[in-house]
Amino acid sequence: MNEECIFAAALSAVPRLGTRRLSAMLAVQSPSKAMEMLGREAPGTQEIAAMKQKLEDGEMSVSYVGAHDYPALLLDDVARPSVLFYRGDLSVLQQRRVGIVGTRAATAAGRYMASHLAYDLSEQGVAIVSGLARGIDAWAHKGVLLALDRDTKSHDGKISARDSHCGQAIAIVASGLDVTYPKENAELWKFVAEHGLLVSESPPGTMPEAFRFPLRNRILAALCEVLVVIESHAKGGSMITVEEAQRRDITVMAVPGSPRALSSAGTNLLLQQGCAPVVDATDVMVALGLDNRRNHPQVFDSRRTPSVQDQELISHMRGEAVTLDQLLMRTRTDLVQTALALGRLESEGWVVNNAGWWEVLGRGC
Amino acid sequence: MAFSSVRSSTLLGVQGKAVDVEIHVGMGLPGFTIVGQPDEACRESRDRVRAALLSCGLPWPNRRITVNLATSVHERKGGAGLDVAIAIGLLIVQDILPNEIAERYAFIAELGLDGTLRPVAGVVPLVAAIDDRIVVVANECEREARIAARDEVVCAQTLAHLVKCLTGEAAWIPAPTRTSIIIAPPIVDMKDVRGQSAARQALEIAAAGAHHLLFVGPPGAGKSMLAQRISGILPVLTDEEAVATTIVHSAAQVSLPQTGIITLPPFRAPHHSTSLVAMVGGGTSTMRPGEISLATNGVLFLDELGEFAPTVLDALRQPLEDGVVRLARAKSSITMPARFLLIAATNPCPCGEGMPGVCVCDDSAKKRYLRRFSGPLLDRFDLRVAVSRPHVDELLADTPAESSAAIAKRVLHVREMAMLRSGCLNSSLSADMLDTFAPLTVAAAALLRHHLERGRLSGRGYHRIRRVARTIADLQSANNRNIDNSVDRVDEAHVATALALRVGVHPQLNGDKL
Repeated sequence: MNEECIFAAALSAVPRLGTRRLSAMLAVQSPSKAMEMLGREAPGTQEIAAMKQKLEDGEMSVSYVGAHDYPALLLDDVARPSVLFYRGDLSVLQQRRVGIVGTRAATAAGRYMASHLAYDLSEQGVAIVSGLARGIDAWAHKGVLLALDRDTKSHDGKISARDSHCGQAIAIVASGLDVTYPKENAELWKFVAEHGLLVSESPPGTMPEAFRFPLRNRILAALCEVLVVIESHAKGGSMITVEEAQRRDITVMAVPGSPRALSSAGTNLLLQQGCAPVVDATDVMVALGLDNRRNHPQVFDSRRTPSVQDQELISHMRGEAVTLDQLLMRTRTDLVQTALALGRLESEGWVVNNAGWWEVLGRGC
Repeated sequence: MAFSSVRSSTLLGVQGKAVDVEIHVGMGLPGFTIVGQPDEACRESRDRVRAALLSCGLPWPNRRITVNLATSVHERKGGAGLDVAIAIGLLIVQDILPNEIAERYAFIAELGLDGTLRPVAGVVPLVAAIDDRIVVVANECEREARIAARDEVVCAQTLAHLVKCLTGEAAWIPAPTRTSIIIAPPIVDMKDVRGQSAARQALEIAAAGAHHLLFVGPPGAGKSMLAQRISGILPVLTDEEAVATTIVHSAAQVSLPQTGIITLPPFRAPHHSTSLVAMVGGGTSTMRPGEISLATNGVLFLDELGEFAPTVLDALRQPLEDGVVRLARAKSSITMPARFLLIAATNPCPCGEGMPGVCVCDDSAKKRYLRRFSGPLLDRFDLRVAVSRPHVDELLADTPAESSAAIAKRVLHVREMAMLRSGCLNSSLSADMLDTFAPLTVAAAALLRHHLERGRLSGRGYHRIRRVARTIADLQSANNRNIDNSVDRVDEAHVATALALRVGVHPQLNGDKL
């Protein structure tokens, strides 16, 4: 690895050296010059060697303000990160990019929306930017994973995921790249690092402290062309990302939800303020200027169309999660018939039971 | 006469054991010793007996007295119920009473210092342990004692009175005549429950097939209200069950109803701070029955299931399977009945709302909350129902819902049908019996197969669903009044209903079909 890169990495780990100061220093001089300038504050040879070891162990690459590979997208940013640690390929940033963010405590319907939207966009060659958090973030990238998987399989495995025409996964995380958080996303973390681009501004070994997440959100916002919020509470990490996006004049779109669901309070608020609504991938494609309706007349839904009675039942469940009790109250049918219909719909994948509450998946029939 | 042997009994768990109180009076320094592993209350009887004898103007032998408590097993003997037996024995050795008395009577009562006969705990099992003698008990225990031995019970007021009765100088206290048996109807009725049709039906299925039931829902949804109403829809106890239940209640010193015998299924709702010993029994040397034994032939209701100590909940697992609880201690091991219907209620998460989109709990808090119920315990609930707050219209509706009496009729019908068909309630059908008595239609088998393949059902869960489906089919035929041609096959609708009434409690994170 380039010596200068290691110096830059070591500099980013100096405690009292802020991002802004470091980025100002690196903009006008090389990292080795900056080290000299710092004098006594500069990291010692031991620390530099340790950093080099960590970077090699974690297979991480480093880019810094002033380096030739530093993403142009971030160069003009108001709060550009001074040093970027990444795994994967920076050229992924050349693809069209849509950010998908949302709450960690998502409903089943929200997770379904996230994964399907990401799947459809990825099929159209749009890269998905997200934060690899629990809930919406993770499911968006799971959608990308599936699209890539299907594409490579359709070519009989003759092409690797990187050569696929599908959009790749771009993840911006808050902790160091060697600190997987949350643990349950470890598989996904590995997948993004190997097939897409995994970015962090924190040096290796950095713990996922709470204050790092809002900071991470500014990079996430800066890397999107369009930001889609699937589900969000009125206050939350996603709303910080939205603010950062709006400050950078990036289009924000939101998925509408039931006015009574707290998990859609944030997205509904955005719609009230004038954001464009997203119902399926076409809406996002239009926002990107990639109107593809003629190419793909209809997004294929593999689920069998339910009978008229079952559609009636779905119409009673639309909008928010319901318990069996509430459903019986609304439909005024008896338990046995409703249970039978729910069983049918569940096996076809139209509805799902989430800890006792029934939810409709997708836009329905 | 230097020796006498008087019959009495002591209590261990819910079982009485006959004890021969042997008394020897001999030469030596005046003194009094009790041998044969007496407990503290027993050892104190020396002072009570002495005071009672003197109060009644009866002599105390100023010689060396040895009392031996002889039983077939070497166990610690507890309780003050041996007092009168010791006193009578002392009177026999002093030739104040004839020796034949010891062969005709047994004595179960404590003595007061003034010589009155006092009631003791567990009279029903204590009296039941004595089969060949007339039992003398305190006046207050007469009703309880008659449950175990209808006619061979007599009562006396004081020790002096007792001596006169035994020698024929006075009459026993006559048994009070009882004109009618009053059964207090349960005050809570199902017709007060508005809305909640799924939860109501789950309760009915639970009662009809004795299936364990878990309510999950936000506060104020009416979980406890529903659960308390189950006593009203369960059938009254059979004579056999009534005696067994009364014995347990008597042994645990729980007050019995006016009629003396418990005829309604007991409803036990211990608080969530209940300790392990209070729940399963044990503790003292007499091994007091716990809540699960008290709920025998009735209902154990655990409100706020998540607040119970995990060890207490896990201790329920074995009794739930076997219907008895086996307690072993260093000096004794006993078996107590514990065949109960478990009904539990819990909030779905710390904030109580649980509804996706409305719940504000973060994932880790939710996980921590749900970790309190162990998987094996959750698996034992045949029915798991999400309860939601009733809609305003339903709350204010004028038409009352179906009454407990109407539901009870169906429940009784289904229970009788099950007993006739298989000799047990639907919840106790074994795997082979399920194939014989609850065969599946092709469609029903396909539906179950689908759920098994997707990993939504465990092996245990599979059988539980089939048992519940059997009960649902029975209830349906009870509803249609088709008594002759009851549904003999369990079809898809019944299985689907059973599945819909057994939802996963943990939030589903991977159910989305991509």
